[in-house]
Amino acid sequence: MNYSSENTLLYIEDLSVTYGDKTIIKDINLVEKDVVRQGEITGQVIAVVGRSGTGKSTFFKALTGLVKPSTGKVLIANTTVIDSENNAKAVCEGDIGFVDQKYTLFRNKTVYEALLFALRKKQISKEAKHEQIISYLKDWGLEKAKDQYPCELSGGQRQRTAIIEQIFSSGHYMVLDEPFSGLDIGNIQDVKNAFKLITKTHEFNTIIYSTHDIELAVELADSIYVIGYPEIDGKKMPYGTIIKHFDMKEIGLAWKEFGLEHLDIVKQIKTVMLQS
Amino acid sequence: MKNIITPFENITKKSKLLIVLGWIIALFSFWFLSSMGERHLFPSPQQVLKGLIELYNEGLVVHIGSSLLLCFSAILIAILISLCFSYLSTIPLIHPIAKGLSKLRYLPLTGITFYLAILISDARTMQIWVLVVFMSTYLTTSLLSMVNAIPEEEFDHARSLGCNRWEVLWEVVVKGRIDHVIDVIRQNLAIVWMMLVTVESILVAAGGLGFLIKNSDKFMNHGRIIALQIVILAVGLFIDFVLNYLRKSFFRYSKI
Repeated sequence: MNYSSENTLLYIEDLSVTYGDKTIIKDINLVEKDVVRQGEITGQVIAVVGRSGTGKSTFFKALTGLVKPSTGKVLIANTTVIDSENNAKAVCEGDIGFVDQKYTLFRNKTVYEALLFALRKKQISKEAKHEQIISYLKDWGLEKAKDQYPCELSGGQRQRTAIIEQIFSSGHYMVLDEPFSGLDIGNIQDVKNAFKLITKTHEFNTIIYSTHDIELAVELADSIYVIGYPEIDGKKMPYGTIIKHFDMKEIGLAWKEFGLEHLDIVKQIKTVMLQS
Repeated sequence: MKNIITPFENITKKSKLLIVLGWIIALFSFWFLSSMGERHLFPSPQQVLKGLIELYNEGLVVHIGSSLLLCFSAILIAILISLCFSYLSTIPLIHPIAKGLSKLRYLPLTGITFYLAILISDARTMQIWVLVVFMSTYLTTSLLSMVNAIPEEEFDHARSLGCNRWEVLWEVVVKGRIDHVIDVIRQNLAIVWMMLVTVESILVAAGGLGFLIKNSDKFMNHGRIIALQIVILAVGLFIDFVLNYLRKSFFRYSKI
């Protein structure tokens, strides 16, 4: 499938996070570029897989600016000045949307109130905000849940609300920590549809998610990073880092129906994960 | 029948009601039986009823009003102080002060009342401030626990939506936990209610339920004492019910 890689959208260099004496992640480096395909809007879908305790959640918190890195930097494209030569900016809290495993929402705000709050910094009229919220609620099947509080929503509704909230608030980036965990088959399909909706909306839209379901990572992502404990001089290090990168675009398996070739990648990822 | 004595057994609503009624009947039966005859520990129900009628004729309602006014004035000031310290405990500079205030609950009240008596000349104000000092320590303890129990994810969620630290405090801790504050007041109200007798004896002229019970105690009028205790319990339970009702009505999302 023809594609080209344009502007750099995400640049991570020597990222490490240490709590006290304990290094959780170290030496994380990655570059993700805007993927352009002729005739269609293609956002980026990046999966991060790894065994429990390897630092995926910490990596995500550092990536979203919620945790200060001990070393290194995370740069994203400043899409508001895309024409200028140097459009990179260091990531700050709120630049990258973050949906955690529990789909946390404000417990005292209804779906509508939560979305209105997410739009509070947007320089648009009240009416425009209202219209935007109603339009999203319709597209994402949340019309009936408009005036409900988080405790009155189903898991799927909570998750969709959390995703829309982040779309409204942050720019083009969205990090989801294990969005498929504990979901039934219908809800998994809902999340897959949500991914499609996001990536088809804007060229720069970038979803970064973690999952323990390797098949779902291979099926949906166009770039997969495996996080594990690296081995240096035959000795396993006690911190997490990227130990393997599968560029599904290069391999030629991105944006394709899940098939036998994908299963081979699943096998390879599982082998890498078990060895780390 | 076997179900009601089996641990973790689910029973019908009707069975639950019957159990409660059974216990109430057992309590009253015990009361009636134990207060029969010449010598008895508790005053008989008739004595209590007589005491209650006497109290009503002597202006029980006014005394209840006086106690409630004292209680609400003290709670209002205590909750404002405790809320300020608890909310600001999220600021590292203020945190030790809030923790210190909470630890003061182990300090005996006698020592504090001595200094309050020097500082405050008006007896009614003195009553209020004794309760405020006493209650603030307990309220701060409960409110600090409330703040500490907020999951990290809620703060991260607000931060991910671009809230600055003050907005996080306002949205997650202040606005997001108002229903918890009402529940904390409800839980701690029992402490104020318990302190009424001690505090109201400071100023006899102001009256109140505490004064009445103290007065009845002096004349060994046990019928009146039990009647007053029942009134204090009933008023306390009524306030508890009202606060719980308000929390549930105003905060639909509150599932404490």
